[in-house]
Amino acid sequence: MKLIQLDINNQVYEIPVNPRDLLVDVIRKKVGLTGTKKGCGQGDCGACTVLINGVPVLSCITLAISCLGKKISTIEGMADEQGNLHPIQQAFVDHGAVQCGFCTPGMILSAKALLDQNPLPSVLEIKRSISGNICRCTGYKKIVEAISAAAKEISTGEVK
Amino acid sequence: MYLHEFEYYAPMTAEEAFGLIGRLGSNAKVLAGGTDLLLMMKEKMLTPQYLIDINGVPEFQGISYEPAKGTVIGAATKIAEIEHSSLIKEKYFALHQAAGELGSVQVRSMATIGGNSCHASPAAETTTPLVALGAKVLLASDAGERELPLEDFILGNRKTALGEKELVSRFILPEPAPRSASCYGHIGLRNAMEIDAVNMAVNLVLEVSGRKIKELKLVMGSVAPKPLVSLEVPAILVGHELSDDLVEKAALAACGEAKPISDIRASAEYRREMVYVLARRLLYQAFNAAQEV
Ligand SMILES: Cc1cc2nc3c(=O)[nH]c(=O)nc-3n(C[C@H](O)[C@H](O)[C@H](O)COP(=O)(O)OP(=O)(O)OC[C@H]3O[C@@H](n4cnc5c(N)ncnc54)[C@H](O)[C@@H]3O)c2cc1C
Ligand code: FES
Ligand code: FES
Repeated sequence: MKLIQLDINNQVYEIPVNPRDLLVDVIRKKVGLTGTKKGCGQGDCGACTVLINGVPVLSCITLAISCLGKKISTIEGMADEQGNLHPIQQAFVDHGAVQCGFCTPGMILSAKALLDQNPLPSVLEIKRSISGNICRCTGYKKIVEAISAAAKEISTGEVK
Repeated sequence: MYLHEFEYYAPMTAEEAFGLIGRLGSNAKVLAGGTDLLLMMKEKMLTPQYLIDINGVPEFQGISYEPAKGTVIGAATKIAEIEHSSLIKEKYFALHQAAGELGSVQVRSMATIGGNSCHASPAAETTTPLVALGAKVLLASDAGERELPLEDFILGNRKTALGEKELVSRFILPEPAPRSASCYGHIGLRNAMEIDAVNMAVNLVLEVSGRKIKELKLVMGSVAPKPLVSLEVPAILVGHELSDDLVEKAALAACGEAKPISDIRASAEYRREMVYVLARRLLYQAFNAAQEV
């Protein structure tokens, strides 16, 4: 065991880890942030997606120890301090893009990474950006609509 | 699916990395993106005692270009960086296309170009275009560097010429010839997140004036244990203008050369048929694109 510091949602946690500990398990079990989900555990489903330095990665195939000095963002960091949902989260609620919710944290983080880079993506670009996030419930249509709506909302908000 | 116990090293310089791999040798594995390695460790197909994480070594990162010499890509460069590089898109279009097809956004932001070649899966996405583009790999260790054409580095399914104390430090892509073009195609069961049933890359050079083909390389993936470089297609096409008859002949020849197997992704028969389809498609595409440069 080695004591390391992990920066998760701009808060630094001091956590004992083994080299073999996967980031998803450390976030869920040692830090206690259970918003990040573990589905397949082999890179296929995207439920475990978190952002590292703004880039979406799969925490089920990332060693926690390799994240020293990096900025990790999880779904818990999306709402503001007052607890207001991020526009992407709000759009998912408003458009019925959440059913069981298991894919939702990963889906929203993939969408955030897209919109941070490309504020007004085409439908095709949205579909490509979530091609590594599997949803068993919604059929994706409402998710794509929610991301489109959030993009418009965020862009017009910035103009104001 | 937990991992076994191992020790973890994260060298910050190439010298440090060579020193570690020299000392730990066959008990160690290089960790790049981990998108193949950690899966194999979860399945207990590999249980290395030491992991050497090379992501912190600046010498193994990035894409740089030297006029007349070509392009150097660090082995630990992410597939996403290659996908989004305007230099790669302009000069090595086939590699740009293949990079954009590997896995998902998340996988591309983790996986590296070096890992794709070192894992040496017969269905790998980037090895086919890299071989077509004439890529060489630099194998580096404490003892120095050696250079191998990628097609000689990959020996077969998950087999490479990598020595016990070596790692791949860089890829070198030659400057594309004037009036040349490359393109990539693949066939799978669905569009996204799919391991290819067949893939192919064509790199075609036209004579300085006119429409005759001066040089051509056609490489097939996922139809043999390693990227398969066609000998017959160049023999049929070099020195000629492309015609429907010649394309037909060349595509049939490529089919004959392919040595596919049947597995969960496709039957051998289907793969052979798809070699024909891709060869026709890509030969026309590359020929038309080369006339425009
Ligand atoms: C969900 C998912 C989808 C995928 N889809 C595709 C796909 O569509 N197409 C495709 O081709 N692949 C795909 N892959 C496989 C994988 O992502 C690629 O092969 C990737 O390029 C591997 O790179 P890496 O950096 O992650 O390698 P790692 O897993 O870090 O390493 C792979 C192997 O290479 C060795 N190695 C790595 N770098 C070096 C080096 N510089 N020197 C010496 N040895 C080295 C390691 O020791 C290990 O044995 C997918 C994987 C996942 C999880
Ligand atoms: S749990 Fe990580 S991709 Fe499925
Ligand atoms: S809402 Fe259930 S998996 Fe997407």
